[in-house]
Amino acid sequence: MSYTLTGRVSSRLTALLPVLLAACGLAAALHRAWPVELVALMAGVGVLLDVQAWHRLPYQPAWAALPLGAAELGLVTAIVLGAGLHVPFLPALGLFGAGWLASVLLSQAAFPALRPGYAEDGGELGRLGAVGAAGVVLALAGSAATVYARRPPVVHLEAGVHRGPLVITRREVLEGEPGAVVRGGIVIRHDDVRVEDVTVVGGENGITVEGVRGTVLRGVTVSGAKLDGIHVRLADVMIEDCTVDMLGNPLGQGIDISYNMDLGMSRVEGCTVVGGMEGIVTHSSMTDIVDNEVSRTRERGISVTEMSMGTVAENEVRDALGVGLLCNDRSVCTFEHNTVVGTRDDSASGNASRSGYGLLASFQSEAEVEGNELDANPVPMGTVVDSLIRPVE
Amino acid sequence: MTPVAIVGSGLAGFTVYQALRRGGLEPGQIAVFGPERDPAAVWRRRAEAIRQRAMRSESDGHCGPSSFPGLAFTGARRRRSLRPLVASLADRYHPTVEEFLEHVERRRARSGWDESVVESRVERVRAVDGGFELDGHGAFRHVLVAPGHPGLNLPAELRGDRRAVHAYEPHDYASTVTVVGAGLAAATEWLNALAAGAEVVSVRRREPLRRPLNVPRPYFSRRGLAGFHALGPAERAARLRTLLAPSYPPGRAFDEPLARAAAEGRFRVEAAVDGTEQVICATGFLRGYRHDPLLAALVREHGLETAGAWIVLAPDCTVPALTDDTRTLALAGVPAQWAFPAADTLAGARYAGHRFLARIGSCRTR
Repeated sequence: MSYTLTGRVSSRLTALLPVLLAACGLAAALHRAWPVELVALMAGVGVLLDVQAWHRLPYQPAWAALPLGAAELGLVTAIVLGAGLHVPFLPALGLFGAGWLASVLLSQAAFPALRPGYAEDGGELGRLGAVGAAGVVLALAGSAATVYARRPPVVHLEAGVHRGPLVITRREVLEGEPGAVVRGGIVIRHDDVRVEDVTVVGGENGITVEGVRGTVLRGVTVSGAKLDGIHVRLADVMIEDCTVDMLGNPLGQGIDISYNMDLGMSRVEGCTVVGGMEGIVTHSSMTDIVDNEVSRTRERGISVTEMSMGTVAENEVRDALGVGLLCNDRSVCTFEHNTVVGTRDDSASGNASRSGYGLLASFQSEAEVEGNELDANPVPMGTVVDSLIRPVE
Repeated sequence: MTPVAIVGSGLAGFTVYQALRRGGLEPGQIAVFGPERDPAAVWRRRAEAIRQRAMRSESDGHCGPSSFPGLAFTGARRRRSLRPLVASLADRYHPTVEEFLEHVERRRARSGWDESVVESRVERVRAVDGGFELDGHGAFRHVLVAPGHPGLNLPAELRGDRRAVHAYEPHDYASTVTVVGAGLAAATEWLNALAAGAEVVSVRRREPLRRPLNVPRPYFSRRGLAGFHALGPAERAARLRTLLAPSYPPGRAFDEPLARAAAEGRFRVEAAVDGTEQVICATGFLRGYRHDPLLAALVREHGLETAGAWIVLAPDCTVPALTDDTRTLALAGVPAQWAFPAADTLAGARYAGHRFLARIGSCRTR
């Protein structure tokens, strides 16, 4: 078909309307904004390409929907990754695919059937197009208004020591003023909680996140926990710019994120972890671990284990005991641009796989590596028990 | 006053009729005047004459009121195969003549066409107060004239030559055949004559254009039409002459047999007709309103504006001087090229039908 610019844009927006409404329903069901954000991004990218690129095509055969759709998918994916949007890959791909399919079916079949002059009008839909475009704008505006109206309340934690454990049982943002300290730990028991700039001292775990969605920990400082510094179970979490001091605790982990494989990606970024048995560890989890500093642990520095998946990138691990970076127990890991220095030999423990590896893949695991600096480690890199290390493809 | 009349019972009138029926008009509200009840009668005879097997048009080259479902969809359903749809995705689906004619028959039976047809040739359309008088058949508020091509075009130098036959007249093939022309009919006749064992000479004034459809695709939609409609009369007439130059589709279906025959010395191009036994004139139709008695009288009696061979029309195929809030006179088929360059295609007739329906719908006195 030879689209006019108005025809292209109105067809696109009208075709997107049912997908957007479905995304609104999905967002309501999941209590997540990403479906609507993604459809808004699809609409924005699509209209931009319509105006800047696709409109230059004097004629668009039906098959062109495939390469044009692939180009739009590529651009949307690049923006999602570049902007760090927290979007689960497969469901997002499914939503994009549904949008593309709806667009093809509507423009090739439904619109011409509903509006006989559709093809000769260059895809223009008249009143239907205006209603469709208005529907998209209203649905997006309504979604934005809903998100705005449902923003969690902000609780300011005054400077000074507050007795814990502090148990959070509603959506809220807990913002610590400079000098705000919670003694006895924080327990998060509700979805969509954000904790910022709070210092936690003591507690069973410093911060416990269990069975909830959408937790964000930003700028928290944890020390003196009896078990783990930050303990995450069956929950997805974003941890940014934290400090965890586990010195004097030989058994706890600095940050332990476990059993959330089905909850999408979690992320630990910009944290400093000192001491503890393991600095950062994931079990059965999809977590990216990026730009952290881990030092002086009693065992591994960073450990991705028990069928976990994730990227470990740009971290600095110093003075670990036995292993600096570990990919273990049927996990699939990508190690890129990490620095591992001064891992100590622990073969005295009787375990040969702890003889000071900078990077180790163990027990049927697969690790892809690129650009890691592994200095002053007794064994820079190795594999044990049917594991594999290969360059990043 | 019956509100709507279509003058012309060929495929263009039939396609407009389908659009009107889809728009909610009942058979009793539409009168169709023409010499034959079968809308495909004339077209069928021409297609048989050139032994046409497949349509040049694609899936949407049908008489239905909307481009979907097209003939590829129907073909896929009937053949229980996705192949027509896949071919249509790449604009490579060309329905067979049989499929097209079956489609016409189905639409004819379903739409009530025969109820509306009055077997009578209208030779004069005259504007009267609030409508148009049609040759003693009464007055109609909205009239669409789809008279078809005004006649076969036989080059002057070949008139009276006993060897000459027009491609659209029944004929067989002699052992040496000259085909005059450079369009799809000529290309089809090259292959027909070669298949019949003849030696073929192609005589043409210009190298044929190769394009999939009669005119470039953007001219089938508002995208190309907007610029076309913005042209002044002289430029638009010049553009039309360019757009309507003879052409036939690119592809191996033509190229391979012609290359093979040329290598065997059975196909060649020459500048003029020589001494072959038979001359087939694939030279199309007479062009211009002056060759059509009805249109010529319409222009003469109402002082209509013309440009070259064309009656000047509004973009919606209506005759501006005879169309207002109370009545409509529109053209469809080949005389509507001023509004839609591919007006002599089914898509062109559909375009005219949609616009005609819109005029009827917006009329104060309907």
